[in-house]
Amino acid sequence: MTLRESVLDGLAEIRARKMRTFLQTLGVILGVASLVAVMGLVDAGRREALKFFSEVGGLTKLLVINRPPREEVLSARQLSSAGLTWDDARAIKREAPHVTQVDPLASAWLPVRHGDYHQSQDITGATPDFTGVYKFYPARGRFLIDDDIASQARVCVLGDTAARRYFGNEDPLGKILYVGDVGFDVVGVMKRKEFYFNEGSDNALEWMNRMTIVPLTAVYSRFTGDADKRVAYVNVLVDKVENNHRTSEAIEGILSRRHGGITDFEVWNRQEMLNRMREQSQMYNILFLATGIVSLVVGGIVIMNIMLASYRERIREVGIRKAVGARPRDIALQFLVESLLVTSIGGAVGLPAGIGFAKGITALLDRPAVITPWMAVISVGACAATGLFFGLYPAVKAARLNPVEALRYE
Amino acid sequence: MSSGAPGPSGGNGALIRIAGVHKVYDAGATSVHALRGVDLDVAAGEFLAIMGPSGSGKSTLMHILGCLDVPTRGTYLLGDTPVGNLSSRELAGVRNKRIGFVFQTFNLLPRATVLRNVELPLMYAGLGRFERRERALVALERVGLKERAAHFPSQLSGGQRQRVAIARALVNAPSILLADEPTGNLDTRTGQEILALFDGLNAQGHTVILVTHDPGIAARARRVIQIVDGLVAGDGGLGGAAAGAVPP
Repeated sequence: MTLRESVLDGLAEIRARKMRTFLQTLGVILGVASLVAVMGLVDAGRREALKFFSEVGGLTKLLVINRPPREEVLSARQLSSAGLTWDDARAIKREAPHVTQVDPLASAWLPVRHGDYHQSQDITGATPDFTGVYKFYPARGRFLIDDDIASQARVCVLGDTAARRYFGNEDPLGKILYVGDVGFDVVGVMKRKEFYFNEGSDNALEWMNRMTIVPLTAVYSRFTGDADKRVAYVNVLVDKVENNHRTSEAIEGILSRRHGGITDFEVWNRQEMLNRMREQSQMYNILFLATGIVSLVVGGIVIMNIMLASYRERIREVGIRKAVGARPRDIALQFLVESLLVTSIGGAVGLPAGIGFAKGITALLDRPAVITPWMAVISVGACAATGLFFGLYPAVKAARLNPVEALRYE
Repeated sequence: MSSGAPGPSGGNGALIRIAGVHKVYDAGATSVHALRGVDLDVAAGEFLAIMGPSGSGKSTLMHILGCLDVPTRGTYLLGDTPVGNLSSRELAGVRNKRIGFVFQTFNLLPRATVLRNVELPLMYAGLGRFERRERALVALERVGLKERAAHFPSQLSGGQRQRVAIARALVNAPSILLADEPTGNLDTRTGQEILALFDGLNAQGHTVILVTHDPGIAARARRVIQIVDGLVAGDGGLGGAAAGAVPP
């Protein structure tokens, strides 16, 4: 008996028992639907995180932050350490391997004045590497250059929102902005940075548009007078993700040496962070996947039960087929093909249902679902596997029937 | 009754040679001895009736003859093939190519058309679609039902269904036609028509073995075997068989 004939017989059987087929496929449909929905949501979440990271330095970014010692009584050496400084940043750039950009940042809270505008703002002290780390470039004019740092120049660059806030409709370029009591030439206005998580309405990068950026050295010399030239944190870009770990260890070594063995800093590795995130979300993924698999298994058991019922109804038919020459494998094939057909139909119906389900959930959660062809393949594959696995027992049982007893069966 | 067929001690050209066949069924603690040493030779072209009261073992004998079952003990040669040694897969092949079954209850597949029912043995024989169709239509023509090919069994009368079953039995050109009470579910007139059909097929050279408990039907056969208590109690023409219906 050819496969074609088995398929035709299977289709005839399914046509003759539409309601039963529907019930049979229902479990599989739900299983596939939840599989697709879960995969869509998980995938979408991961894509979002990656996209956001790439906007603020990507996975090759290491973040070096201050972490004051936790002990209640600090030793003299601990007290003597100034924490992260500009010199530390320069040492990292000089000595650490695989480093492409080093971006130390300091800030000060100062009154900003122009025309009618007079309000205290967060002023950021930065170096030219800042643009490369954040992929944040001037729309007009220029960003800070090495000369500005060397000369502690009184120049500033404004984020888009800051420029509007201070200057309204005026063109800020070439104008003077008073920070504290010092006049700064506005040399550049940055492009807008935008990122909306999950198509929400909050710009996660609006803080960048609000920035007022001056040379790092100008913060020390003109405002804080900080002799240690302390920084809030240092962004370090590594050439390749694979080098993250090595570079991060090298930075720890350099800083430890420079801070006299005191560990009052921490190096955050984006890649490791993402891995941690992934591990955490893995738990939920597994939970959701388990739900999907459980419903597939339940669907499979339903299929097995119905195939067993169908087997009992068709014992006589199996006897007839055997009497006219059906081999055991012909019978097994017929039953297997039928359960495969049922699950494939279930999978095919379940796929759009699953996509709809995923879209529905994501609409409720305000999160987008990403449906890839892969998910379709996996889901329908899972279905077929379910059909095969749970169809096997009834198929083998039918194939092994004794023809004489089968023919006598009432 | 005159017959060209050899007797039980048949010649070397026998189609079926059964010797010392026992069949024991295990039924829990007890076992049922359905056949207790049956010897039987059947030559090609014979029209043989197997008679016996119910429980005599005639059905068991038919199952063994039809390769639906194998003997517990003894030998069965079908042509040159020792059937007792075959696997269930090989037995299926023998049933497919060398045996045509006709049952009391017709045993057609209800959800398949007449044509597809008749094609069934050819499917398992692995024939292509077009050859199958052609041969099935020829077989249907032989039983006079070619024009009903597209009908479903439920749309046919009992006699017509049995004709379809006969067409299915014939379609793979088997060595033996095995009929188990083929008229049991038919009225007398229709039964006579079916028996006439078997007569015709036998006249065309088919070997026919008919299992029945009805002496009137057995009278059609040229040789009648009596089975009583799992043994051959009588073997001969109709006259002997009719007398032997009650064993001496």
